[in-house]
Amino acid sequence: MKKTITFTLNGTQIDVTADSHQSLLDLLRVSLRLTGTKEGCGEGECGACTVLVDGLAINACLYPAYEAAGKNVITIEGLTGKNNELSDIQQAFVDSGAIQCGFCTPGMILSAKALLDTHPDPSEEDIREALSGNLCRCTGYVQIIEAVKKAANRSKDKP
Amino acid sequence: MRDFFHIGKATPRPDGPDKAAGKAHYIHDYERPGMLYGKIKFSDHSHARIKHIDTSRAEKLPGVKAVITANNTPEIRFGFLRDNMALKKDKVRQYRDEVAAVAAIDPDIAAEAIDLIQVEYEPLPGVFTPHEAMKEGAPLIHESDPRGRPRSHNILPLKYHHESGDLDEGKRTAKHIVEGEFSTPLVQQCCMGTAGCIAEFDMNNNLTLWAKTQIPFLAQRDFNRVLSDMGLKEKNTRIIVPALGGAFGSGLDTHAYEYIAILLAFQTGHPIKIVYNRREEFANLSPRQSSRTRIIQGCDQNGKLTFRQVDVLQDNGAYTSWGATYPSVMLMPATSLYRVPHITFDAKLVYTNNTYCQAMRGYGNPELTWALESNMAELAERAGIDPFEFRMLNRNEPGEITPMGLKISTCGLKECLEAVSEKLDWKRGTKKGKNSGVGMASLIHVGGGGRIYRSDASGIILKLDDFGNVNVFYGGVEMGQGLHAVLIQSVAEALGVMPDKVFINPTDTGTCPWDVGTHASRGAFMAGNAAILAAEKLRSKIFELAEELFPAEVEKNLKKHQKKNPDYEPPDLDIANAAKRNRFDLQEGYIFIKDAPPEPWLRMDLGRLLRAAHFRPQGQMLTAEAFYDPPNESPDNEKGFGNLSATYAFGTQGAEVEVDIETGDVKILRMVAAHDVGKTLNPPGLKGQIYGALAQGVGYALYEELKSDKGKIQNPDFRDYKIPRTNEMDFPIELAFIETDDSFGPFGAKGVAEPGLVPTAPAIANAIYNAVGIRIRDLPITPEKVLAALKNKKMA
Amino acid sequence: MSRYDYYQPESLEEAFRLKKTIPDSVYISGGTELMVRINKKELHPRALISLRSIPDLCGVENGKKIRIGAMTSISDIKKNSLLYEKYPVLFQAAKELGGVQIRNVATIGGNLCNGSPAADLAPPLLALEAKVRLQSDQKSRELPLENFFLGPGETSLSPGEILTDILLEPPEKNTKTIFLKKGRTRMDLAVASVAVLIRTEGDRCLSARVAVGSAAPTPLRLFEVEALLEGATYSRELLTEAQQQASHSVSPITDVRSTADFRCHLVGVLVKRALEKLMDNEIGGGTRT
Repeated sequence: MKKTITFTLNGTQIDVTADSHQSLLDLLRVSLRLTGTKEGCGEGECGACTVLVDGLAINACLYPAYEAAGKNVITIEGLTGKNNELSDIQQAFVDSGAIQCGFCTPGMILSAKALLDTHPDPSEEDIREALSGNLCRCTGYVQIIEAVKKAANRSKDKP
Repeated sequence: MRDFFHIGKATPRPDGPDKAAGKAHYIHDYERPGMLYGKIKFSDHSHARIKHIDTSRAEKLPGVKAVITANNTPEIRFGFLRDNMALKKDKVRQYRDEVAAVAAIDPDIAAEAIDLIQVEYEPLPGVFTPHEAMKEGAPLIHESDPRGRPRSHNILPLKYHHESGDLDEGKRTAKHIVEGEFSTPLVQQCCMGTAGCIAEFDMNNNLTLWAKTQIPFLAQRDFNRVLSDMGLKEKNTRIIVPALGGAFGSGLDTHAYEYIAILLAFQTGHPIKIVYNRREEFANLSPRQSSRTRIIQGCDQNGKLTFRQVDVLQDNGAYTSWGATYPSVMLMPATSLYRVPHITFDAKLVYTNNTYCQAMRGYGNPELTWALESNMAELAERAGIDPFEFRMLNRNEPGEITPMGLKISTCGLKECLEAVSEKLDWKRGTKKGKNSGVGMASLIHVGGGGRIYRSDASGIILKLDDFGNVNVFYGGVEMGQGLHAVLIQSVAEALGVMPDKVFINPTDTGTCPWDVGTHASRGAFMAGNAAILAAEKLRSKIFELAEELFPAEVEKNLKKHQKKNPDYEPPDLDIANAAKRNRFDLQEGYIFIKDAPPEPWLRMDLGRLLRAAHFRPQGQMLTAEAFYDPPNESPDNEKGFGNLSATYAFGTQGAEVEVDIETGDVKILRMVAAHDVGKTLNPPGLKGQIYGALAQGVGYALYEELKSDKGKIQNPDFRDYKIPRTNEMDFPIELAFIETDDSFGPFGAKGVAEPGLVPTAPAIANAIYNAVGIRIRDLPITPEKVLAALKNKKMA
Repeated sequence: MSRYDYYQPESLEEAFRLKKTIPDSVYISGGTELMVRINKKELHPRALISLRSIPDLCGVENGKKIRIGAMTSISDIKKNSLLYEKYPVLFQAAKELGGVQIRNVATIGGNLCNGSPAADLAPPLLALEAKVRLQSDQKSRELPLENFFLGPGETSLSPGEILTDILLEPPEKNTKTIFLKKGRTRMDLAVASVAVLIRTEGDRCLSARVAVGSAAPTPLRLFEVEALLEGATYSRELLTEAQQQASHSVSPITDVRSTADFRCHLVGVLVKRALEKLMDNEIGGGTRT
């Protein structure tokens, strides 16, 4: 079955026709052609498909598209500001050597955002826990954790 | 050490911002107009005759544009022994064999069509270990070789052998001898971005393939041969490499799915995209080669190694890919890690009905070093010598030539060993607590390319534009390791421009010069050296132009300057005379005369010179190319001799572990990684490589294993194939980069992509031994194995 | 992708009606297990009936009994201060379930209804002697949780029935609880897990509840171990006995994750450690290995 669902995507309300069997990941990548969110496993293990729904990090591959109705969804595309400006978290990843192949990066950044939005001053343990649902095969995570710390510190320094 | 402008700096990766914004495009994100989706039907038997394939129902499904099998397509043989086929015809030899494929208008329909294809099999008895496969009367995996000649057994016709000195003499002079058998499992590359490609023909029947590959030019060669097999003589393939979601060796061969995409593209006249989902990736993409190694080493009463005897047995799986060449790399540590006067090395490879294997980071070195460095620790103990001292005693030194003929230029092994020893407080004992201890292991790896093909070269083109920008065409592949950043730094440094004026073009066989492939940790080494050569040529050309154009341009500058500063007294300098090509320098994008006074008007922006050269009668633009071919040799695998690389990277890693003797858990408390890098080109890039490799090494040591039961992978998902997460990498890692400044390396640097995981597993195993006195010889070191070993120790 | 219809009823009645009238329909809560099974083609439902929009299924309420709505997410369990105060063992188990993304959508009801012997919340709820309320369009019934699990993947749910609430008695005085889980790596299905609840008086254990996961066809109460501990005085010998009894009381399988032998052993160790940690003061001095 098909249905038009309405939700807020990266700050803007949209209407999109979705199939009943579509996942939110499929809706984003295929229907809305937002390919920043990645499919890494399709089974909720790798976190490459992480997006925020009402502020909570979820695996879009397991999230039925219809459930997004009425919700506030944020994808990696929503973090880049006007004039191509990277958000603090994105810039911190770039500056910390936290990006290698980059496939896990959007998901990682969103998990980090979910953490920093609720815990602006996280401990290293908090960061590890918040990112434990995101697999990375390239970096060994060390510089990713440094990036999140850097982003937290930068926000602290802002007025 | 020289001072550099850009080398050694944390120059940001050019691809970083796009990746952070989700704007890097991987094969998964690519679309071509009119594109169809391909999907493959895999066998569900490990060994069976194909009696019949019924594709009729699939063909009738609306939206399906093609269904292919070996029966309606030309035979495509691939693999360096040509024993593999894109689509299997008479029989399947492994669980993942490709028997049919479809192209459809969307992925769902393609998947549905696959389910509608019915294959009738006649199961055959299978063999699943080399021993089974070598038994008298064992079923033959391949009844004939690719030339049709009948085979009588399952042993591969590949010979690896090394003999140096006199093994018997070595055994005679040994006071202490330790023998051990070690094994390593099937391990998956686990790239976060799975395998895939898009194949598209133009109306001239030339092929373009967007490929997840590390070998664009070798792939081009493979696919051109296939075009010929398909009746498309003299047609060409162009390989374009998009952003890769990691590779770790999985892109070093061409794969059945790529050939299938080509067949479907040709048949349908549409671009065909095939992408593996994660399950397909685990179950159907060739993993790291497993190994069984028997090693015997002996030393004299002083601890000097007298001999080393190594025998390797490999389960080759059903077809032959790079797994079968791991022994060629194993020759390196077997003959050259530490000094050993009498050595033999032999390897045997056997066909089975298990999955065939391909390259993965380290390519045989982790497998051999696992056995070698574990055995070294055992031998040290037998000899009553501290394992650090034992290694120091037998260490390699700069300038030596090893029994394999490896010419060691620089060697930081001593410094690496010492760094690890110091950081682990080794001298105060290797047992640190009731159930904790430290261990170490070292490595040797190629650091200056690796001549495993006839050519180990890399070409580069530097093209200058009117703005002083450098457009770089380089055929090496950025797969996340940071090649592009280092290439930008190398060009900027060698040429004398700013990094943000250097632009790397996409890797494309249509535009970039030939490069053998991004493997053997050769990326930075080759890119840097090629950049240096080309930059030198370009500088020559620039200074030639400057000789002609510089005086007039700076005169204009001077006039302008004097207008603004009427009292200005120019220095006494005959510019025309001073402006000779050999007296110019170019730094940070500015051309000036060396040892002339540093007046601002006496220098010229590169772009200005180039425009002056371009926009005039008989104008010219500048480009330079270089083809860097390193001074290394193609080793003879049957003699086990040849200087495989231009230089060698050494390293030592140490681990401190705590063993929970009730649960068998091994907790890593900390690790130390000391690597002989020659020169740090890009600190965050280098650290990222080592941390990342180390994490793979930890997984390799403690939990990674593709479990195969009668050829079927039992854990084809991340739920049951465990790789480290943030939780697992929660211990401090101390890094030490030993800069030995190698003259063969660009700016002194050696390749470091693979070393980070070579000694990790034996370092951990040695630490476990020192902690609780148990020796595990089969990876991964699971709690089950630890408990079993503790139990055995108790009973003994 | 399999194709299925997707319904979002806003009341239990509507959910029951949909289930009754649509053949091959399946209820879905968080979907973290169900969606995986559908993607793996282990399940081919014609329709999914989402329970997410049914207000009756949400919420944690204090009262004579503590009621946890079945659709409460694992994250919400983790963050809930009432539950943390009264049943800290639920917090401990919730913390070990998956990663953040899974916890944000997985539900306590779903965790139980999958009927997996490895369900992380099952051992603590068994140790707390939780009851579950099952509702259908015909009736509502309460069942002790230990009668809910019938076998691997099998529960007492009749067709059309929905597990709506988990009910807990208010905790008794002098009760201590702990949940321990071991996986191959930190984020994993349990290779073995245990939940222990003891009521103590000084160094005497008045009563105990011991439940294990991944060690039998269902999450299991270890009655023999409980009997051993009832009325017993703490000593190292008692712990060793409890360890051995626990190892012998379970019947795990060998699968891709671990072996039966190892699981038996591990269950014993975890029970012993659970008791050690709970009785750390009573035995005197540290008892950790």
